[in-house]
Amino acid sequence: MGKYILKRLLQLIPILIGITFLSFAMMRLAGGDAVTYMYENAGVNVPQEVIDQAKAEYGLDQPFLVQYARWFAGMATGDMGKSYVSKRDVYETFVPKLPATIQLTASSVILTILLAVPLGILSAVKHNRWTDYLIRFLSFIGNSMPNFFAAMVLMYFFSIRLGWFPVVANDNLGQSIVLPTLTLAVSMASKYTRQVRATVLEELNKDYVAGARARGVRGHIIIWKSVMKSSMLTIITLLALSIGSLLGGTTIIETIFMWDGVGKMAVDAITMRDYPIIQAYVAWMAVIYVAVNLITDIIYHYLDPRVKLGGDAA
Amino acid sequence: MKKKITAVLMSCAMICGTAAAPGVSVSAAEEKTFVYGTVGYGEAQGDAGLNPHDNYSGWSALRYGVGETLFKYNDNMEIEPWLATDYEFVDDTTVKITLRDGVRFSSGRTMDAQAVKECFEHLIEVHDRAPYDLLIDHMEAEGNILTIVTEEPCPAIINYLGDPYGAVIDMEAGIEGEAGYANVSGTGPYIAEEVTPTEIHLVKNENYWGGEVNVDNVIVKSFSDAGSLAAALQTGDIQGTYGLQYDNYPLFENNPEYAISSVPTSRCFFGQFNMDSEIVQDINVRKAIEMGIDREQFCNVLAYGRCIPAVGAFPGSFSYGNEAVTAPGYDPEGAKALLEESGWTDTDGDGYVDKDGRKLTINWLTYPNRLEQPLLAIYAQETLKNIGIDVQINNTPDHMTYAENGEFDLYISSATTAPTGDPEYFFTSTVAGAKNYGNYQNEEVSGLVETLHKTFDQEERGELAVELQQKILDDASFFFVAHLNMGIVTKANVTGINPHPCDYYEITAELNIE
Repeated sequence: MGKYILKRLLQLIPILIGITFLSFAMMRLAGGDAVTYMYENAGVNVPQEVIDQAKAEYGLDQPFLVQYARWFAGMATGDMGKSYVSKRDVYETFVPKLPATIQLTASSVILTILLAVPLGILSAVKHNRWTDYLIRFLSFIGNSMPNFFAAMVLMYFFSIRLGWFPVVANDNLGQSIVLPTLTLAVSMASKYTRQVRATVLEELNKDYVAGARARGVRGHIIIWKSVMKSSMLTIITLLALSIGSLLGGTTIIETIFMWDGVGKMAVDAITMRDYPIIQAYVAWMAVIYVAVNLITDIIYHYLDPRVKLGGDAA
Repeated sequence: MKKKITAVLMSCAMICGTAAAPGVSVSAAEEKTFVYGTVGYGEAQGDAGLNPHDNYSGWSALRYGVGETLFKYNDNMEIEPWLATDYEFVDDTTVKITLRDGVRFSSGRTMDAQAVKECFEHLIEVHDRAPYDLLIDHMEAEGNILTIVTEEPCPAIINYLGDPYGAVIDMEAGIEGEAGYANVSGTGPYIAEEVTPTEIHLVKNENYWGGEVNVDNVIVKSFSDAGSLAAALQTGDIQGTYGLQYDNYPLFENNPEYAISSVPTSRCFFGQFNMDSEIVQDINVRKAIEMGIDREQFCNVLAYGRCIPAVGAFPGSFSYGNEAVTAPGYDPEGAKALLEESGWTDTDGDGYVDKDGRKLTINWLTYPNRLEQPLLAIYAQETLKNIGIDVQINNTPDHMTYAENGEFDLYISSATTAPTGDPEYFFTSTVAGAKNYGNYQNEEVSGLVETLHKTFDQEERGELAVELQQKILDDASFFFVAHLNMGIVTKANVTGINPHPCDYYEITAELNIE
């Protein structure tokens, strides 16, 4: 197991080099830089020597490969550089944003599970009855709604009409987290409800379920002790992907609800061509996807010992 | 199991219970609190933090009532004393400024000439733009008299001292924190207690020299999403907004619960033609483009009235603004006639005019970070089609590269044409300076710009500004589309907060919640 984890972690190195190089190159291809954004787009005239000085200070006057090599050398020694915009250390800028993103990820994943698992099972058990149709209809609506639209609808009813929750995040975490969590959970739960339903239906048609029923085992015991255990692999795969994506920040939701997480920070950085922040974000995304996939593989192995880890002997 | 379900339900009920407490403007202790939402504050705007000596943070110091400058701009963008009471040009390079008595920084230190000198010395040492504007060689301080000696004649120095970077702060108290967290000790009606790149908490300055401050606490919140800004005003999470999106104004117009105040600013959306491009070297083509765009419709319909049609570079509130100059208005038939005069007619019936087998296609360069500009590009594409001109839009954040390389026929940008209430800036920077990307050359114009640069008399400077605008309009080298109409929307019970043509002063001692 240890050898397997080490191997997977070592794979992170070429992934990091590849992905950061690509993002560095793509940002350059997109054109513009932080200094242009800061001075020219502000519509205020600045002497050319000031612009040149600022570009030289950030190393933006250097060839692309030199800029990337400098950045990578810094990162390899733990120095992620300073933000071109705020002039603050990238680490100090990035790390304080993580708790907000992790909180929102946790709350939306928990709510998604709380909604999707019971509804998916109910829909499967009541197959082709009105409960099933209703749940499928609602999940269809939830799946079709883009996040920003769901956010606006929830904001309209719960904030503007009912006045229950604030539009934007404030000091009261309990209040502030409800709408962004609901917004994310609506679409995720809709997707997972259908997935749980399909998986459970498939399991319910298997012989071991018919056998259990014939032996007089009660329905909820068959569902929770046998069917759910078999369905977990599919659900965990989906959840892992969602957690990876959520930990990368949910840009639109963070922007709409002023949730101060890494997604909003990344978009701001892209707009301002703040390369050090963008690179830190890209590196973070690579790390979380590798980590989440690794954890998922390990969970697979424990849930179903027939699944072999890459490092294990067959 | 039942206990667990009950616990979950109770937790939900508690969250909803706490959520039901509405946002309030007057607390239990009868303190007045104003929560202000703005899209104008933050790192993306370059004005996070309150240190006027860093980037554009002086705007925040001035906008939110922490800092004040020696001179300020009135509603006509004319300069008037603020922390200073008077000034006198001793000679072309020396100006003697008399400071106001009885002004103290929030640190408690008296604001005298020595304090201002220390502040400005630090400013020109660290700021990127101030040294080039102010041209300060050295300063002398004696009591309340500050004497500034410039390296060369600088007629606009008094105007430049009204720029937000000129907000006077106590350098003995220093600058606490850095960048978006920087806090300073100023002379304004409010003192910042907490500063972050997304929020500023202010309390009233009990010893404000300008008199009683009405509101006890102000919270400035930065917004990135204009839709959320409108919703937050509707819910009462905030009581005032700056930067509401155009299409959200109808939610608040003619609604007795809200008050809207607007003012045209000197932020101007304008175009410059590339004089090196063969196709627009023909003045008839340039004029036809100008006459083919209906500024009124763009401002009133597409921009929901949040823009004012422009004639010249400066809005009508300036003595040398819109009404002082003339330019061709919307006249599609006249535009077609001009094109025909130059040999551009639709010979192949495709709806576009052509000459010598070549379609009249204009490369329209602009950039996306001001939402009006892409909107204008799309509008122009549609409206110029009606007179037979094909518009190819290049809307890119990398516009500077294209502009510097001359890869455009028409470059649409926006700029604050008179950030300090003085006209010289626009002409020295854009018409005859580094931003003259269209390579427009006119010796008469260059001579007039040089004269303006050396002229001290304000009236004469205004006349020169009018003459210069008219020249470039007659040459059709530049054309001006719209001035931004800045608006502040508040709850109806909020008074004393209005937008200003310079876009600086927002939170002042007059702010009140009734």
